[in-house]
Amino acid sequence: MKKVVFVIIFVSILGTSLVKNSTKEIEDKILMVNERITSLKSELGDVLLEYNYLSSPDKLTQYQTQYFEKDLIKIDITKIKKLVEKNNHIKISDFIVRANDE
Amino acid sequence: MSDKKNNVILEEYENEFSYKKSKTNLNIEFNRIAFIFFVFLIISIIYSIQLLHLGSLKKITNNIKPIITKKNYRADIIDRNGNYLVKTVDSINIGIHPLKVIDKKHLLLMLNHIYENKNLSRIKKKLDQDKFFYLEKNIRPKRYEELMMLGDKSISSEANLIRLYPQDNLFSHIIGQIDNDNNGISGIEKSFDEELKKINEPLKLTVDVDIQFLIREELLRFQKIFEAKGSAAILMNINNGEILSMVSLPDFNLNKRETIEDVNYINRITKGTYELGSVFKTFTVASGINEGLIEPDTEFFDSKKSISCGKNHKIEEYDNKMPSDLTVEQILIKSGNIGSVRIARKVGVERHKSFLQTIGILDKIDFDIEEVGKPQSIDWYEGCKLETIAFGHGITTTILQLAKGYSIITNGGYDIKPTLIKKNLHKKDKRKKVLKNGVSEKMNPILRKVVSEGTAKLVNVEGYQVGGKTGTAEQVNNSIYSNTKINTLASIFPTENPKYVLVVMLESTKNNKEYIYEYRDGSGFKLKGSPRNTAGWTSVEAAGKIIDKIGPILATKYIEN
Repeated sequence: MKKVVFVIIFVSILGTSLVKNSTKEIEDKILMVNERITSLKSELGDVLLEYNYLSSPDKLTQYQTQYFEKDLIKIDITKIKKLVEKNNHIKISDFIVRANDE
Repeated sequence: MSDKKNNVILEEYENEFSYKKSKTNLNIEFNRIAFIFFVFLIISIIYSIQLLHLGSLKKITNNIKPIITKKNYRADIIDRNGNYLVKTVDSINIGIHPLKVIDKKHLLLMLNHIYENKNLSRIKKKLDQDKFFYLEKNIRPKRYEELMMLGDKSISSEANLIRLYPQDNLFSHIIGQIDNDNNGISGIEKSFDEELKKINEPLKLTVDVDIQFLIREELLRFQKIFEAKGSAAILMNINNGEILSMVSLPDFNLNKRETIEDVNYINRITKGTYELGSVFKTFTVASGINEGLIEPDTEFFDSKKSISCGKNHKIEEYDNKMPSDLTVEQILIKSGNIGSVRIARKVGVERHKSFLQTIGILDKIDFDIEEVGKPQSIDWYEGCKLETIAFGHGITTTILQLAKGYSIITNGGYDIKPTLIKKNLHKKDKRKKVLKNGVSEKMNPILRKVVSEGTAKLVNVEGYQVGGKTGTAEQVNNSIYSNTKINTLASIFPTENPKYVLVVMLESTKNNKEYIYEYRDGSGFKLKGSPRNTAGWTSVEAAGKIIDKIGPILATKYIEN
């Protein structure tokens, strides 16, 4: 009986320490993943900042003047049409609905 | 017998005792020692496992050296579409300890290799002075790597954080500035100082970078055309108070971190309080309709060209051709002074004052930034205050409050709180109705007619059903009316179901003889030179061009909002 209790205690202690150890390992991995996410987030932030700067309206206007001055034309919004597909039929309507007084 | 028996037992016991005692003692000692060793073994196993674990943990944490510390951290600020308006980035300062330099010539040679275009004579002088100095502040990681590769012990680095403003001037009045101790000193940086130091996620604003840019570009253009001292424009959602754009010119580049002391750099939307003139006639008419005293077709007959009130105050029409018989609608379309005065008199002081208070014109507004102006207090019973207020004189307010007032009048009479902070859509506040039913339904068509038939024809942009009211006021300098003008247009669109309010103000404008106006009535008529220095020929034209530019974005991007 004593031997059984002894073995149980021994196994429990060993088991607990092993489980605890593997838990700690998982915790370590989680910590590492979290830290990687943090550093990736920071990297993403820097890339986004660069993207925001390079695609800011100010920069885009500069590029337009520099490269596409004559290629880009302004489209009158009243001439834009809306396509609505319903039962295999396409209905074309004005994008902007005009009021009676226009 | 009994003694004999006892003796026998004693002998047997002695024998057994001597044998068993020795054997049992041996076992107990062995078990004890074994047990103690076992316990030690277990403890040492657990300890070594822990040691191994702690070792591995230490190894991981040692590799991560977060530069951002709670001390100097500030959250980023983004626009409604996630574009950065402000970003805190890691940066490094590089310094040199001259006393630790082994070979100055070699170091200078190496630095010359890295800084090809830098004059190193200044660095040489500093090296000779034997005092620590910064070689370069806020360097990027690539330059940092190059310097560290030199392996010179005299070069030391210092982690730092810098606040970058990728949009430069675009949001200067909204974002504000911070001081060297990382404390906000103006704008959102000041009013949300604590939050920005605590929150991990970026602070999201309601503004839109593209719209802000387009409005600013047009304002800059028209400020130049009409030689204005300053200008301002605000675009706000009339139903929830979200501000999509708020521009005040002149503005400043936040990246330069200059101390702004010139009063001309005031935030003209929130801080500057102005007499805004005829844009207040809309409030007078709305006040009368809200009280049930007038309807759009109520007629006012035999109005004189001028009336007297108070001691020696004379109120006149700005246009002598103003008809003497006008309906309420015509009074607003033709911007009649006398008609507005008659409506205000019908409403009365208390009711009109209460109306203006309800729509947030009279009191200091509670806003997201602290740079907010306080409208001048009014003695309503002095002279002919009610009469002058009816057409927007003798009363001051901010452009922000004007936009709020127009929103409430046109959104069905619901109170709104103008805001720059994008809130969670699930936390929708219940809207409070502050005006009676039918006020907006009656006001919106009148405002539409002011644009299609009245003084604001140049903002009649096809497809957007713009409605609004112009206001030309003489600027008050040191309590005296001057010749300089404050030209304002308060507009809403589309009038059938209003979504946005746009207020454009140009301060101290001049006529431009070269500018060509293109009429928007479909005639193709063009006019060279501004005929008058009024809102109708300045702010209205600017607002028209602004709607031309931002309209397609609002119509497509925010179609579901």
